[in-house]
Amino acid sequence: MLARTKTEVALYAAVCVAILLVPVFLQDAFLLNKYARYLVFGMLAVSLSLSWGYGGILNLGQAMTFGIGSYCMAMLLKLKTVPVHTGADGLPDFMVWNNVTELPWFWTPFYSPLFGVLAGILLPAGVAALLGWFVFKGRVTGVYAAIITLAAMVVVQLIIIDQQAFTGGFNGITDLGQFDIAGLTFDAYGSSSYYLVAICLTVTLFLALAITKSKAGLIVQAIRDEEDRVRFFGYDVALYKIFIFSVSAAIAGLAGMLYTIVMEFASPTFLGVPLSLSVVIWVAVGGRQSLLGAMLGALIVTGVQGALSESETFLDTWTLIMGLLFVLVVLFLPQGLAGAFASLARRFERQRPTPPKKPAPHTEPVANGREVESTR
Amino acid sequence: MEIFVSQIMTGLSIGSILLLVALGLAIIYGVTGVINLAHGEFVMLGAYAAWFLQTQFGLGLLASLVPIFLLLALFGWLIEALVIRHLYDRPLDTILATWGIGVMAQQAIRLTAGGELRYVQMPESLSQSVNILGATDSAYRLFILFLALGLFALTWAIYRHTNFGLKLRAITQNRAVASSFGINAGRIYRTTFAYGAGMAGLAGALVSPLKSVSPEMGTTYVVDAFMVVVLGGTQSLMGTLASSGILGELSGYLAFYSNDTIAKALVLLAIIVLIRFRPQGLFTARLRA
Repeated sequence: MLARTKTEVALYAAVCVAILLVPVFLQDAFLLNKYARYLVFGMLAVSLSLSWGYGGILNLGQAMTFGIGSYCMAMLLKLKTVPVHTGADGLPDFMVWNNVTELPWFWTPFYSPLFGVLAGILLPAGVAALLGWFVFKGRVTGVYAAIITLAAMVVVQLIIIDQQAFTGGFNGITDLGQFDIAGLTFDAYGSSSYYLVAICLTVTLFLALAITKSKAGLIVQAIRDEEDRVRFFGYDVALYKIFIFSVSAAIAGLAGMLYTIVMEFASPTFLGVPLSLSVVIWVAVGGRQSLLGAMLGALIVTGVQGALSESETFLDTWTLIMGLLFVLVVLFLPQGLAGAFASLARRFERQRPTPPKKPAPHTEPVANGREVESTR
Repeated sequence: MEIFVSQIMTGLSIGSILLLVALGLAIIYGVTGVINLAHGEFVMLGAYAAWFLQTQFGLGLLASLVPIFLLLALFGWLIEALVIRHLYDRPLDTILATWGIGVMAQQAIRLTAGGELRYVQMPESLSQSVNILGATDSAYRLFILFLALGLFALTWAIYRHTNFGLKLRAITQNRAVASSFGINAGRIYRTTFAYGAGMAGLAGALVSPLKSVSPEMGTTYVVDAFMVVVLGGTQSLMGTLASSGILGELSGYLAFYSNDTIAKALVLLAIIVLIRFRPQGLFTARLRA
């Protein structure tokens, strides 16, 4: 293992341990729920960092797969409440209101929690693979790919809103049961849910890190930097892009499921443009080419936002500041805070008195993720 | 016959608004290659400028068109000078930066003018309806149609028949060679951006009496305008004209016959398929690379 990788792993582990230790010092149920929500956003940021920072695919519709995952979990949890909450034929309440007489076929498998959880991960991955196949096989890149992801998300959102009888429409799916697995029940306002989110986050963070260090991960990064050159080497560029796009979607789906557990409902706003934009901002601020940076970016931005949301005027001003911050980061810190720290650390290392006679090679961060293609 | 004519007129009316909004976006994208996601907010700012001039200074809509164009052009000029200029070699980042600018513009309006709906008075002289082949249509909508065509003709004339247009086309074809002939590409880009922003402002002012004015109104416009540009092809002004007409008639037809949400989803799906198979648009002028 490279020395740099070792430091990286140690850093990641330290952050994860800190996150896992929070409930030891904090018993407030409301705060734990809030922090668990931030951690879910952190996971969502990790997923976007994987496809945007490492794969060079700017997914402006990352909330699409997040929302699909959250709806899967909501369907599972809704069916848990059915015998209790509704009398008529064991149907979810909003179906009764919409005169649906029998449970639609795509709802029935969600009686099995295992199916529900698997669907929450595999369905987003599958949808992403299909979209990726459509886009990347046609060699659509850069700006156009970004616009397609955005449009696809809005289409899914419109369908969910339109099919009110089966999805709850604008209101989403509310009044959910509690998630339980192997005798453990996860209460949204308790340390159990916080631990569930924190452990999932730790696992995905290290899994994602492992992927970026694997051979496939390296090829994906090579494609980001010089797509044509990798293609001339004989690699199936589209296949690698579909791979990283789907992995990213699977993580987003998992995050969506956890979000439903923590929030206790699913809503079409989970697939909305504002959330998608926020994810892009978190990742840009934290640093898209660092998984940890992206995650911390999400925690910092949502944390500050949460602290200011007590007052209406502060929140409004905050949105304004957020926009400005975003523009400034795009202009001056394309690699985000993580990139800034990395180059600071490098400069510090260079200034230590020990270096050999030969001056250290000039290691400016390569302008990665930059589009080589011209739009004309 | 009457239904037929009024259906066509509805389509033309929608199309003329689309043309007004898309013209600015098409120019900016065609020349500089920047996808301006803040374009909808430029439209929104134009509408708010019309509202402000009307309620604060009692200026009629027609009288305020020129000041609004100049105001928005200045705004666009500033945005280009402060932000866009640094991003020409990073097209993906221009999406992000303009998105951020859009968020800021929306929020700034919400903080200053408030989030509630605003209404702009239609000019007195244009508030009657006109009879065309048995169908009645609002005079104001006809006015917008002719003004949109007029502005299009003006833009076309600038593009084709002026010294500035010549330089513009030279830069679009090959920036490096054009620069070596002494054309100041930076200045041309900035002027283009300002002109596009001014156009967006005009569009916003003109639609403001037809729809309510709100901080979020720009979002739908930017999507529609982007559709027009993608369909029309990024290099051709004539394509923009044709696709505005097609999309206008099509949306009029869809809104008449089907449910709005599904119509929207279908249009977006059509765009996805179009980008995938013909990213250069339907009406493309062939250019040397």
